[in-house]
Amino acid sequence: MAVKSDLGQEASRALAKTPRDHATDRVRAFEAERQSLASILTIIRNGGPTTRLDIERNARLGRAVVVDRLETLANFGLIDDRDVGKSVGGRAPRLVRFRPEAGSVLVANMDRDTIGVGLAGLDGQLVLEHYEDIDAGMSGDALFQRLDALFSWSLDKSGSAQLWGVSLGLPGPVTSQLGDGIQLPDVYAMPDLYNARLLERLVERFEAPLWARSAVQVATKGEVGALTPEQSRDMLFVDLGTEISAGFLSEGRLHCGAQGIAGSIGHVYVGDAHTAICSCGNVGCLQAVAGCEAIAREGLRAAMEAQSRVLAETLHKTGAVTVADIGMATRFGDTFSADLLARSGRLIGAVLATLVNVLNPSIIVIGGELAQTGDICIAAIREGIYRHSQPLLTRDLSVVRSRLGRSSGLVGAAEVALDALFSTDILEGWITLGSPLAHPDVMRLLEDARRVVRGKPHDGRPIARSVPA
Amino acid sequence: MPTTDGGTSAGKRPLFAGLGPHGERPASPEAICLSPEALRRARDAAYRIVVVLHTTTSDWSKRQIAGIRAGLTEAGATIVDVIDCAYEAATQVEAIASVVKQKPDAVISIPFGGGAVSRAFKAVSAAGIKLILLDNAPSGLLPEADYVSVVSSDNFGLGQIAASLLSPHIPTGGSVGVVAYRIDFFATAQREIAFSKWMRRERPDIALTQVKFDTPARSGLVVGPYLDRHPNLDGLFVVWDEPAVEVAREISCRPRRLAMTTVDLGKAVADALIGGDIVKGVAAQRPFEQGHAAAIATVAALTGQPAPAWIVLPGLSVTTANVGEVYRSVGGEPASPALMAASNN
Repeated sequence: MAVKSDLGQEASRALAKTPRDHATDRVRAFEAERQSLASILTIIRNGGPTTRLDIERNARLGRAVVVDRLETLANFGLIDDRDVGKSVGGRAPRLVRFRPEAGSVLVANMDRDTIGVGLAGLDGQLVLEHYEDIDAGMSGDALFQRLDALFSWSLDKSGSAQLWGVSLGLPGPVTSQLGDGIQLPDVYAMPDLYNARLLERLVERFEAPLWARSAVQVATKGEVGALTPEQSRDMLFVDLGTEISAGFLSEGRLHCGAQGIAGSIGHVYVGDAHTAICSCGNVGCLQAVAGCEAIAREGLRAAMEAQSRVLAETLHKTGAVTVADIGMATRFGDTFSADLLARSGRLIGAVLATLVNVLNPSIIVIGGELAQTGDICIAAIREGIYRHSQPLLTRDLSVVRSRLGRSSGLVGAAEVALDALFSTDILEGWITLGSPLAHPDVMRLLEDARRVVRGKPHDGRPIARSVPA
Repeated sequence: MPTTDGGTSAGKRPLFAGLGPHGERPASPEAICLSPEALRRARDAAYRIVVVLHTTTSDWSKRQIAGIRAGLTEAGATIVDVIDCAYEAATQVEAIASVVKQKPDAVISIPFGGGAVSRAFKAVSAAGIKLILLDNAPSGLLPEADYVSVVSSDNFGLGQIAASLLSPHIPTGGSVGVVAYRIDFFATAQREIAFSKWMRRERPDIALTQVKFDTPARSGLVVGPYLDRHPNLDGLFVVWDEPAVEVAREISCRPRRLAMTTVDLGKAVADALIGGDIVKGVAAQRPFEQGHAAAIATVAALTGQPAPAWIVLPGLSVTTANVGEVYRSVGGEPASPALMAASNN
């Protein structure tokens, strides 16, 4: 009897609902679906292949909801359940797996004279990578042409995975706010790229959202993957290339600085004894004294003045002296080359010691061309660090050479894009649509980019980009 | 006063055009030093080496194996097995698994294919076996962690050479096809990219198109319909000589003659070059020297000596003017009278 009266009251309440009430219910149901889809996909993506039962437990959702959401995600192509797990009595459960091949990200990282491009899956693994020298001071237009050609080649080579984004590491300051969503960062501090509308043109050409950071910042992010979580929590990455720069992770968070160009350690002043003029116009900058260009110049002088027989032979054979040649010369016992690399390494180490004293990292990863010359430079850097740092700060400090080389830049660029695409805010904006390309902000970004590239009059709405600090 | 080009070199441009699979600067084979002590230890140890190649029947492979054998013999090491994977990635994966069980001291191999191959090769170094790669390091394999060195040609430079050799035979406003390898393979990818880049920069008047083949033996079958679709092509670049021979055979059945360049101075392509009809130039590798360098890098790794991660030999530009001389130096055998006669004319 009580049940009948409950049913009657329930029916009465339902009949009493207004259209507005029904609309509110639909919105709530849609919100719940969106959140549960995002939550389940995040669990699968972060946790590896898992069973439906484990998903229910971790997501704290009922069976019916989880089954429904898994079917939706499978229809979107984001997951599959081809594999089978271990039986614990009864039928072996199916394992639900995230499909990294559901989409792809084009990545590039560049410094003043080299460019690397690649393609990554949605798990951040590089599917292919290519590196080549570029002309120093390449114009923005020429850079766009080259990126267009290499990106197109990469997409053609790899097959049919849908392009979900483009991510760049650029050779200069990039202003972006962490958590800036789907907006183009500003590259106004690189006038050539800014005036050439490089970012907008890439968005328009490849019809995908785009992210950008400075080259050293993406390389720092990329290096994290080669370290343990404990090591990478407070990590300093140093790029000893044509320019010397550094990226720093503190408590797992990348420090970018007010204008996004933190880490320009190549411009640290190393004393009045050094009079070399830097590209920034100052005198005595670290990279003007101990950077790759300075070292190569010293090597060339030594070759021309017969101070190094090995380098003189190299110059005669190839017409040039590279940093790699100087590293190779040390293998032949060339004392000039060994001394040159050691002096440079100690100077770099002394500057890094300052960072150690200030930042207290647990590990310093050394990358770039100078790091590839061999053990002499790395050993000298260690010597400089240990000599000038407070002993407690170096007691457990590791100083290692990068294992990833230039690949770290591409891996890091992929991480930047994937962190954004699968962040909670952005993920919930596209998960019910099946692809981030259908996200309203992405569609607005594409429209704005087309307008900029095709020169159409602006409609008055702000272009989706972050505001410079 | 010494000047720099604003980068990591001073003076003129370096000898090598390309960078390594992870962006490494190239080192020449002379960078590997085997000390007398290391040689003595190697001879005492009598290392056992397995060679795994995509094919053992091509001229390139035969010369590679000869170079590897010569280098290993100098150090008292021996090749205990040579495996031919017949261009099949699955065969290669199985071969590597069985090699790991054999537990040789080192493996010298040319991997082809993507992720599955990468996983198979990781097992080699995980088993404590030194791994030296030829021409290719699939994505996912890292130097020091997974392999010692990649020994290769300057494939980017080879693509540039092939482009420069083809260009004089293409009229202004002409069109050129690139016959590319569909499989993920670093060496041929570098040649494609470099060829196209050279053409875009030096001959922007030339229209470029592309066709891809899966296996060299079927390249002619793929190129036939492609030529039907592009009847006005003036030239072709084929990424290496084995498919180039098949493509040349397809072209010779057609009334319109195309100019062609390729990479690798195998015997068949050398003969086609002096024929003068289709093949106009070849960007030659130095397979014997490459194999020798791979052997020395292997012994260096086994005896604890440092070896660069990316060891490169420059390519050679070959026309009828120098084909005899080059064939003798890279072929490992005397050039035929016909080749020498063509060079002397």
